[in-house]
Amino acid sequence: MGDTSKHEITIDRIIHEPARLLITAHLYVIESADYVFLMQNTGLTWGNLSSHLSKLEGAGYVDITKEFIERKPHTMVQLTESGRVAFDTYRRQMKALFEDLPEA
Amino acid sequence: MSNKLALRELEKKAWLRTFEHGLWDIGIGSMFLMFGLTIIIDFPAFSAIWIAAMMPAFRELGRKLVVPRIGHVQFRARRKLAKGRLRGMLAVVMLLGIVFFLFFTWMSRGTSPAWAQWISDHFVIFIGLVWGGALAATGKLVDFPRLYAYGVLVFGSLIVTDLIEGYHLGISLSLVGGIILLAGIILFTRFIRRYPKLEDGLPETSNG
Repeated sequence: MGDTSKHEITIDRIIHEPARLLITAHLYVIESADYVFLMQNTGLTWGNLSSHLSKLEGAGYVDITKEFIERKPHTMVQLTESGRVAFDTYRRQMKALFEDLPEA
Repeated sequence: MSNKLALRELEKKAWLRTFEHGLWDIGIGSMFLMFGLTIIIDFPAFSAIWIAAMMPAFRELGRKLVVPRIGHVQFRARRKLAKGRLRGMLAVVMLLGIVFFLFFTWMSRGTSPAWAQWISDHFVIFIGLVWGGALAATGKLVDFPRLYAYGVLVFGSLIVTDLIEGYHLGISLSLVGGIILLAGIILFTRFIRRYPKLEDGLPETSNG
């Protein structure tokens, strides 16, 4: 086993899944958003979004809180500090992984 | 590098989506229309009536029609500052409009000093520069490209007003306001068609 297997082991599979990567990337560049905003921007259905957010919440990467905006309840989603660190680490690892590739 | 750029694009796309609804355009357009009509009908209280009627209407439109379609988002500090700047620009433009109107009224009494007379002679170009410049500068500051076009439109139309003898400032402002308002209405209609009201279709726990 060479370098590649080392990268495979360290890559965070919670973030690596395409839909969750898209959700995490969106949450990384903003402060917080509700389900509707995330659905519109990621193109995921409510069911998909909800299931992926549950996984991210389970890993401690997102905070899902209910709050009132103009007297209406909204479920807001925010990347936690550990989620932000995990996404940064993932970015660095992927960059390193692809930069390691030999020229074809 | 490419990853960094993609994230920046993602953020910009999300940011621009919050302007797709056209309500800002409707607000800016109707404000210039209000200035124009105030001059035409020569009734300063019209501005106050407009502000009192339109502000709550915009708020309600945003709450009832925009948020259920694109959701609610809090951007990071830089973007929050940008939204503040946009609101600030609208307040400054509105305030300047009232100041210009008062100045115009004062000038019409014919007892003004020489410096005021000089400003009065170049009045239309002066307000064109101030309003057009304010719109274009805010467009740059808040990353809202349509504001450049509106800035050029306001400045250009006021230059034309100054060049054409007898062309009424009120008509010019009403025309500019009408064009921006129309653009806003088209954008708003397109927005309503493009984005279905998602909030109604969501389970109660998500509720947008």
